[in-house]
Amino acid sequence: MSILQKIKNTVRSRSIHVAYVDVGSCNGCDIEVLACLAPRYDIEQYGIYVHNNPREADVLLVIGSMTPQWVDKLQDIWEKIPEPKVAIAIGNCPISGCVFNRWHSYIEPPVAKYIPIAAQVPGCPPRPTEILNAILALAPTLFNDYEEKKQK
Amino acid sequence: MSTSIIWYLREFLRMEWLRTFLFAKTAPLVTPPYFKDYPLPTGNECTACYNCMMICPAPGAIEVLRHTDHWKPMIHRGHCIRCGLCVEACPEDVLWSGRVLDAKRNDATDLRSWYRLTVDDTLCMRCGNCAVSCPVNKQADPSLASTGTASSDEVIMKIEGGRVRVIHEEKCTGCKTCENNCPNKAIRVARMVEGIQERGA
Repeated sequence: MSILQKIKNTVRSRSIHVAYVDVGSCNGCDIEVLACLAPRYDIEQYGIYVHNNPREADVLLVIGSMTPQWVDKLQDIWEKIPEPKVAIAIGNCPISGCVFNRWHSYIEPPVAKYIPIAAQVPGCPPRPTEILNAILALAPTLFNDYEEKKQK
Repeated sequence: MSTSIIWYLREFLRMEWLRTFLFAKTAPLVTPPYFKDYPLPTGNECTACYNCMMICPAPGAIEVLRHTDHWKPMIHRGHCIRCGLCVEACPEDVLWSGRVLDAKRNDATDLRSWYRLTVDDTLCMRCGNCAVSCPVNKQADPSLASTGTASSDEVIMKIEGGRVRVIHEEKCTGCKTCENNCPNKAIRVARMVEGIQERGA
């Protein structure tokens, strides 16, 4: 492993940029993501920064039960994120549609049909600690030796 | 003036202060023991009454499955919303989650359920299929047939005076055979649940 790669690994382990997108949720999970930013959970102490610009993001948090209007737009957002990138489904809705997955409801879960989902955080809503753990567990596997893995 | 600057410098050059300032971390977060997490089995035997499946508000969250020699409720993550209603509804305390069982015992609360039959008279065409197909009606009045009229008053519902009359709603077992056999979807079986608390608790 080159020294440059080592420096990159160290720097990136404390610089995870997160964007979140709400594809039709009830706002419960949005509030839990917001709680991560608050002093009690404080995700910035782990070097995680929340942007709402996909072009700056490494991690995309997908929240909500996927309404049909989002089908093409979510793919656009996913393509705008620069490599290396990863998407995490937050809550039950992107996984199964949760309580909205009934007859005559205009939703098309799961989100994994449209963009590749690397991790799922079940719960309605999930605890902020569960969201944090998912991001922190996924980030090293994504960033460590990214350039070396790409060359292979 | 100068003393206050010195005081500030002394205060901010303390190692203790610098360490807490530069390496600030919140206390490691532990899940409190009363957190209502996904229901876990207590070890009591499941009798497959399906009360948990019937009360569950999330589609596909709980299934009572038959294993080789016993029944067991299975919680599906990604569907379960951790409301704890299955824990509360179970008469055998097969599942536990947080303080749901303790609260149920301390407050002497329970869930009572019954079935409500509603017939939409604008859709009903008085064919009597509901009364004829009902298995409870068949027990109460074996002679009930074809038109849905019956001489007995012990049946759940019968055709009387040209329309369906629901007589003994409390006998309904919720099998929904009438609903499935109604050509116009005029009859509806709804399961009603009510939280009750024993007096004096």
